[in-house]
Amino acid sequence: MRGTPAVTTPSLLRRADALLRDLPEPDAIGASASWRSRLAIVATFGALYGATMGCHGGRPLQATYSAVKLPLMLAASFAISLPPFFVVNTLFGLRDDFRRAVGALATAQAGLAVVLATLAPLTAFAYACGLEHRRAILLNGLTFAVASLGAQAILGRSYRALIAADPSHRTMLRAWLGVYVFVGIQMAWALRPFIGAPGLPTQFFREDGWTNAYVAVWNTIAAVFAGS
Amino acid sequence: MAMIEEAEREGGGGWTRGFRDLDRVLRGESTRPSALRGGSIAVAPGRLTWAVTVLCMAYGACMGVFAVLSPGGPRSMQVVASMVKTPLLFYLTLAVTLPSLYVLNALVGSRLSFGSVFRLLSASLGVNAAVLASMGPIVAFFSVCTTSYPFMVVLNVAVFAASGFLALGFLLQTLQRLSVARASSSAVEPGADDRPSGPVPPMTDEFARRRVRLIFRIWMVLFGLVGAQMGWVLRPFIGNPNLPFAWFRPRESNFFEAVLQALAALFS
Repeated sequence: MRGTPAVTTPSLLRRADALLRDLPEPDAIGASASWRSRLAIVATFGALYGATMGCHGGRPLQATYSAVKLPLMLAASFAISLPPFFVVNTLFGLRDDFRRAVGALATAQAGLAVVLATLAPLTAFAYACGLEHRRAILLNGLTFAVASLGAQAILGRSYRALIAADPSHRTMLRAWLGVYVFVGIQMAWALRPFIGAPGLPTQFFREDGWTNAYVAVWNTIAAVFAGS
Repeated sequence: MAMIEEAEREGGGGWTRGFRDLDRVLRGESTRPSALRGGSIAVAPGRLTWAVTVLCMAYGACMGVFAVLSPGGPRSMQVVASMVKTPLLFYLTLAVTLPSLYVLNALVGSRLSFGSVFRLLSASLGVNAAVLASMGPIVAFFSVCTTSYPFMVVLNVAVFAASGFLALGFLLQTLQRLSVARASSSAVEPGADDRPSGPVPPMTDEFARRRVRLIFRIWMVLFGLVGAQMGWVLRPFIGNPNLPFAWFRPRESNFFEAVLQALAALFS
C-alpha cells in the first residue's frame, strides 16, 4: 500500500503543516493522492470547526449537524463555481495551467479549513465563558474573516508563479473570488443554522431555509432605514 | 480553405464532434493567425449547432428548475419549455439579424463571404453557449434555494449579459485576427512585388477594415437589442410563481421595462 498512503491523523497534521508553510507534500505522493489529502483536510478540519461552532448552548445534535454542514458548504461552493472558471480560463488561453490553478484554489480551501480549526479552541473557550447567541454569531463572523485572510495569503502564494507566467491569471483569480463569494454566501444561508438560535429547535435545515440571502440582507437594510 | 473543407468532411459524427470543434474554438486553436490564413474559421457550423443546442438546452433546464420548486406548485412543463426556447432564442435572433449584417458588410467592401460571417457567428454563439451552460449549476442552485422571482430574473439577465460580453469579445478579437490574416496573406500574393507601389501603402484596405469593425460593433448592439426583445417575446423562461404555466405570454410591454420592474421589485 505504499503507492497510495492512507490519510491517517498524524500524516494529515503533517500535510496541514506543509500546506501552511508552503513545503512540498511530506510523502512522495502522486497528484491524485495530493487531491485526496486536500479533500481530507477540508473534511476533517472543517468538521472540527463545524462541531465547535455548533456546540453553543450544549446541543450535541447541532454540533453533529454543523460538523457535516461546514465541509459540505465549502465543497459545494467550490464545485458549483468551478465550471465557469474552467470555461473562462479556456477562453483566456489558460487551459494548460488549469490543473495548477485549481490545485492552488483547492490548497487555499484546505488552508481556510486549517486556519478555522486552529481558531476552534478560542471559539470553544468563548462559548464556555457564556457568550450569548448574537455575540456568538459575531465571533464566528470574525473567525471566518480571519480564516479568509489566511486562505487569501496561501492563495496569493500559490498563484504567484502562475501570475508571473501570465498576468491574465490575476483577472481569473479575481473573477473566481467574485463568483465563489457570491455562491458561498447563499450556500451558507441555505445550509443554516450552524450555531442554532436558543429559542428554536435543533434542525439540519431551517423550515424557511429556501430563501435568498441577498434579498434577506436587503430587506433588513431597508427595514433599518424605514424604521429610522 | 483546406482546413475548412477538412472540418466539413469530418462531419456527420453528430454532436460529440461538435463539442470537439467547440473545444478547439474555446482553446483558441481555431482562431490562431495560422489557422485563419484561409480567410475563415475552420469550424463546421452544422456540427457546432448541435453542441450549441445541447448547451443551451442544459442552461434552459437549469432556468426551469425555479418553476418546478416554486411555491405555486411544481410546473415541470416549464423545464421542457425553457429547454426548447433557449436555443430558439439564439437562433431566431441570429436569423433576424444575420441578413442585415451580411448586406452592410458587403456594402462597406468587406471581403468576408457569407459563409465566413456565418462560421464566425456560429463560433461566437458557441462561446456564448459554453459560458452560459457553465453558469447553469449556479443558476440551478439559486433556483433551488430562492423564493424571490425578481432575484431570479435579475440573476438570469446578469448571466446572459456576462456570457454575451465574453462572446462579443471573442467575436471582435477574431474579426481583428481575420483582418490581419487577410492582410498578411494578400501581402505575400505571388506577383505582388512586381506591382508599382509608393513608399506609403494605399489606405483603402485599412479604411475598409475599420468600416467592417464599425459595422460589426453596430451589429452587436442590434443583436443584443433584438436578442433581449426576442427573450421577452418567447417568455416565460423562469416562470412567475403567481401565474399559471403557459408556453407564451401575451405580447405586452418590453424586455427593458420588465427588467426595470424586476429591479424595482427586488429593491423595494
